[in-house]
Amino acid sequence: MAAIFNLDHPAHTVHWHFFSMSVSNVIVIVLMLIVFVLAIALPFPKHDVGGHSS
Amino acid sequence: MSAVRSKSWTVRVRERAVEALPPEKLLADKQPTYVSSWIYVFGVLSIASLVVIIASGCILALKGPGWWHFTGVGRFFNSIHLWAVELFFFVMVVHLWGKYWMAAWRGGRVRVWVTGAVTFLVAVPCALTGYVSQQNFDAQWISTQAKDAMNSVGIGAFFNLTNFGQMYSYHILLLPLAVVGLVVAHVLLVRKHGVVPPFRLEDVKRATTAERPTDLPPQESHA
Repeated sequence: MAAIFNLDHPAHTVHWHFFSMSVSNVIVIVLMLIVFVLAIALPFPKHDVGGHSS
Repeated sequence: MSAVRSKSWTVRVRERAVEALPPEKLLADKQPTYVSSWIYVFGVLSIASLVVIIASGCILALKGPGWWHFTGVGRFFNSIHLWAVELFFFVMVVHLWGKYWMAAWRGGRVRVWVTGAVTFLVAVPCALTGYVSQQNFDAQWISTQAKDAMNSVGIGAFFNLTNFGQMYSYHILLLPLAVVGLVVAHVLLVRKHGVVPPFRLEDVKRATTAERPTDLPPQESHA
């Protein structure tokens, strides 16, 4: 990863009033939110094997 | 359950275990239809990540720091261990969010919720002690920075981040033992009480109307 991304510098941070967080952490949190929304919104594949009860 | 309790403690334990978790409940082959949603997948993804963490951690412990720092295969397993932890926390947080918005403590599932929440809290120091167990300059830097946090809250004497032996023991024995034990308890409690059902539409409607009663009847536990 270090060969792909230059990591030889202090972390970039997002500043907004009192809020201060590294860009990498912000990206991970945004990804978690996206995955959370997709997990609720996307339909789950159905298969008729009689494995479900009411 | 037998009418008369046996004098043998093994029989009593067995009877209580089977009473609490009969085999068809412990290893169920059916789940309710509402479980057919991606949001219910993140619990088992957390367990899958934990299995990879434990397995890769065992391999790292067997081979030692000279191997995980200076050989290609060692660095590979070191990375597997790191990224499995990243994945573990990622899917565990999504699992936590899902269960929070479902109010997963309903229907007598308080212990399920509490064991899950405590697992998350114990997993955090379990992962952080890994940073100071790397045996490189990164670990030295982190330990000397983080010790100030421990000292500032008065627990530096008990939890000394510059004490490698203590941190390594915490990381590969005490805290993983606690996490695995809590996860086992969490899963057994889920098996006992069943997966939390979605909110009933009539409850939602009642909650949004003015004549909402002050003491709603408790939700039925999923059988």
